[in-house]
Amino acid sequence: MSSLPEKKSLLDIITQKIVTSQLWRSIFRHGYPDTPLNQSLVMMGNVFLHLHPVKVSRQAMKITYTWCMGGISFFLFLVLTLTGVFLMFYYVPETHTAYQNINQLSSAVSFGHLVRNMHRWAAHLMVVSVTLHMIRVFYHGAYKPPREFNWVVGVGLFFCTLFLSFTGYLLPWDQIALWAITVGTNLAPYTPILGQPVYQVLVGGPAVGQATLIRFYVGHVILLPLATAILLAVHFWRIRKDGGAAGPPPPSRRELEARLAEAEQGLAPTAAR
Amino acid sequence: MAIEQEPKVQTQAAATQRRYRTLAVVRQEAITRVEKPLEDSVFVWPHLLVREFFASTIVMVMLTLLSVAIDAPLREPANPNVTPNPAKAPWYFLGLQELLHYFPPTTAGVLIPGLVLVGLACLPYVDRNPSRAYADRKIAIVTFTMFVVFWACVTLAGSFFRGPGWVWYWPWQGLFFDL
Repeated sequence: MSSLPEKKSLLDIITQKIVTSQLWRSIFRHGYPDTPLNQSLVMMGNVFLHLHPVKVSRQAMKITYTWCMGGISFFLFLVLTLTGVFLMFYYVPETHTAYQNINQLSSAVSFGHLVRNMHRWAAHLMVVSVTLHMIRVFYHGAYKPPREFNWVVGVGLFFCTLFLSFTGYLLPWDQIALWAITVGTNLAPYTPILGQPVYQVLVGGPAVGQATLIRFYVGHVILLPLATAILLAVHFWRIRKDGGAAGPPPPSRRELEARLAEAEQGLAPTAAR
Repeated sequence: MAIEQEPKVQTQAAATQRRYRTLAVVRQEAITRVEKPLEDSVFVWPHLLVREFFASTIVMVMLTLLSVAIDAPLREPANPNVTPNPAKAPWYFLGLQELLHYFPPTTAGVLIPGLVLVGLACLPYVDRNPSRAYADRKIAIVTFTMFVVFWACVTLAGSFFRGPGWVWYWPWQGLFFDL
């Protein structure tokens, strides 16, 4: 093999040139991740990938176990951030123009209609995926020590998700928006003791109006996304620090004892499980 | 080219006088727990990243198709003088709005959601059962399942079975639901 003169295609030569160039090697400090060393280096040396560990448990990674819901929630959050920034270029939180802006998105902006649709549906889907993620985590008992605090962070993220969706609901300033928020905020005065202050902070006046729109807008595009991003950072960090994904629940002690008893009775095939 | 200097050979006396600094303290469980057997694990690159790539691609394709097929709702411009009947909250709050039909506003609108949220946050500190096995958690699983089913029922009722005046409407009598 080695005695034959190697015939390199042009593509091979160009690839070789690129990956040995100073520019490439200044960005990627390791070779292509097809060896255990490089597979480790890529995970530790890349700021985006280093949220992940180098290795994961095969059991904990299964889609039948995770339902992918946490990851999908995060992915939807990223989609919502990108589409949301796009929408911010065309939307002014002013009661006389807001509705018009939304209409113009559909008629006068390239892809504006599609991007608004994506933002709306992704928001609803995120509420669904976060809820399913919590339900999944409960049934697997993955909130138990040492992961108690990460569950609390998760409840905070659930709250943020609901209120991101709720604040965004008002922005189109149509009949659905105005009255859904009116119904929602009308409950605030019933808060014991703090009722009126809570309503004033949320609505900023006697009824849902311009003051409410700017409050919800600022909450929707700055405060809540920022809070969510911070909580997400803590959430992901804690997954690593608490020992990674919990993995499927172990069998109960009774089941273990039953298996042991079977094994002792000489039922070798079941013992192999 | 810089000329590399030969490292000086240290005498015994010089070595003992050397000062040491603590660069890191690594507690046994501080970095990552390594209690899982190594043979049970696989490299994240490519095994997990490939799954994440396909999951996000599928979600993106489905979201795009959904957005092409169905338009986000937009009704008439907001008019504070015309109250739609029924006026409904966003769908994830319709369970609460349904409860508002049975309980006074302070209970249904503030105390119940507040307690649910606080209760959820306190869950790991209330449920002190250390076992994660399903067979050992019957009470927790039954309680939580009842809670989820109850919440799903009131949300569905508020979404699809309530019409003008919050009167019971079957879905075939008319839908009063916006996303």
